[in-house]
Amino acid sequence: MFKSKTSKSALVAALFAASSMAFAGPYDGIGKQITDEAIKPWDISVFFDGENLPAGKGSVADGEKIYQAKCAMCHGEFGEGAKGYPKMLGDKLEILQKHAKSDEDTVGARGINNLWGHAPTLYDYIRRAMPFFAPQSLSNDEAYATTCYVLYIAEVIGDDKAVCDADFLKKTKMPAQDNYYTDPRPDVKNPRCMKDCMKEAPIVKGKAVVGDVSVGAVKKVGE
Amino acid sequence: MSEEKITMPVSGDEQAVASEARRSFLRKSVAVAGGALAAGAVAGRAVASDVVKDPLPIPPTNKMLGRGVVSVPYGMPSKFEAHVVRRNVEWLTPDTIASISFTPLQDLEGIITPAGLHFERYHAGAVDIDPSTHRLVIHGMVEKPMIFTIEDLKRLPQKSGVWFMECPANGGMEWRGVQMDSLQFTHGMISCSEWVGVSLLDLMKLVGVKKEATWFYGEGADGSALQRSIPLPGAKDQFGKPIPDADKIYKDIIVAYAQNGEALRPENGYPIRLVVPGCEANLSIKHLRRIKFSNKPLVTYQETRHYTDGMPDGRFRQFTLVNEANSVVTFPCPDKKLPGKGAYEVRGLAWSGRGKVKAVDVSVDGGKTWKEAKLVEPVFSKCLTRFTMPWEWDGKETLIMSRVTDETGYTQPTLRQLRKERGTNSIYHKNSIQTWKIEANGEVKNVQIENL
Repeated sequence: MFKSKTSKSALVAALFAASSMAFAGPYDGIGKQITDEAIKPWDISVFFDGENLPAGKGSVADGEKIYQAKCAMCHGEFGEGAKGYPKMLGDKLEILQKHAKSDEDTVGARGINNLWGHAPTLYDYIRRAMPFFAPQSLSNDEAYATTCYVLYIAEVIGDDKAVCDADFLKKTKMPAQDNYYTDPRPDVKNPRCMKDCMKEAPIVKGKAVVGDVSVGAVKKVGE
Repeated sequence: MSEEKITMPVSGDEQAVASEARRSFLRKSVAVAGGALAAGAVAGRAVASDVVKDPLPIPPTNKMLGRGVVSVPYGMPSKFEAHVVRRNVEWLTPDTIASISFTPLQDLEGIITPAGLHFERYHAGAVDIDPSTHRLVIHGMVEKPMIFTIEDLKRLPQKSGVWFMECPANGGMEWRGVQMDSLQFTHGMISCSEWVGVSLLDLMKLVGVKKEATWFYGEGADGSALQRSIPLPGAKDQFGKPIPDADKIYKDIIVAYAQNGEALRPENGYPIRLVVPGCEANLSIKHLRRIKFSNKPLVTYQETRHYTDGMPDGRFRQFTLVNEANSVVTFPCPDKKLPGKGAYEVRGLAWSGRGKVKAVDVSVDGGKTWKEAKLVEPVFSKCLTRFTMPWEWDGKETLIMSRVTDETGYTQPTLRQLRKERGTNSIYHKNSIQTWKIEANGEVKNVQIENL
């Protein structure tokens, strides 16, 4: 299904280089041009490096009031999570990594301090989707304040007098910022064996019940 | 036709078994597979006694008038199919608003998922959007930022395809051990539809995407305003490392307005959504309102906190976009026990986010030997593919499983192989071989073979 390298690069070249011809295409007249100013209310996405963070600011103290009123019922008074909703403060990154290395469960220990890339995207997410029951209801200043408080209870920042704005968030280093790497798959090679693929009897684990983790006794089929 | 013509005279003995035969007839008429052999085994009788000798009853529906046209203006499945529904797992998520439901794969045939049974994944619930007010904005690194109505999009050339849509968490409850004794719950985060819309490439030409653009992101008009970064040729991550498959993924992408012949359902993104074939379904942004071209990814919530895969060294994989090849036996399965020994057709589904399914092998001896199954046409790229294999069950405990190889030569791994590489904290992209254990009584259980 994938074309040769030559035709691939030819297609890419045609797509990107021929952009000046776009206006003269046969579909001219479909859709309208729009100004950046008109798009602005929708153009809310903030990049990891802080690009497109808006003007405004908010303090840890202001954020505490918003958090306790609108966030604590799901994320816990101290960021410990509640009713199955995510923690703000998870295990310290070193602890999470230690548990991962010994194959212990880390899913329940995840928080903003061990699994979040950048402070600007925390602001983005809070302004875009939180509080869960009223998304996009916070003003830019309120979103800064809430972000600031969440960073504080997640122990990413230690200063309870902090005031967060675009510059502050750009300078804030998240503990897990460099704990990511891009997809290396395919990472597992299974030879397509057809005959005599298993030397020993299969060791079967089961049986499952819906909603109930079942480790089950190890036994060989036929025993 | 008169009743006399089809009613044959019968003897007293034959009349004596008439009611049992009627029950048997009904049972057989709804059996998934097996015919007379299976029905005989269930009743515990010799096969020869299962010959139908008594006269067939006239179905009552032969003697009545049915509903008139448009008494059901939008047709619904038979009331006898009421069990074929999406289901959810209550303990999986704290509410049903940011949650997922599962497609009843055990009751579906062929490769198309009816839109009403397409699995649902909401980050903030399904919304009803008026298409007359909905707009798509395309901007960023473009010559000409543009805004489109749904009517505008429908004037542009159509592009369509039959592609699967799969959540990367499909099977994710099974990393640490067997958990869900049901095909619907082990594999039901996948559906497959014919999607119709506008090619991203055409939209790119219309707005004049600049050469330096190496990414774009899509954003939804729902309460989550879900956004995901999607790579274009030359895409690099926030560390400057290249994104695999960046020169392949974007070519198939469409902005879809139709699914299986009709408008998208609200649950699937009405009025328009991105469809990113082969990739984890959260890239296919529902209720799409905005596309922005850039020279870097957002690296946002969905790309660090959420759709990232925890590895045994404590790090997290990001941008694990493609759903690798996967397959599962859909009959028999825990949801469909075997009525008795005898002849069956093993059936299943296979798919690959990297292209077409090349072959599917089936094992009925716990993975010792494998036999190539028949692929049922059509076989499309990044689409569910149906496979079948004739099989005679001897009534003994049996371990049955399937294994797909795609056109890139990649063969579906075992769970042991996946765990060795990725541990058990990954949540996402568990595409390992699924084993079902058929018990002597015909019940089918979800099991894992530790040494496969």
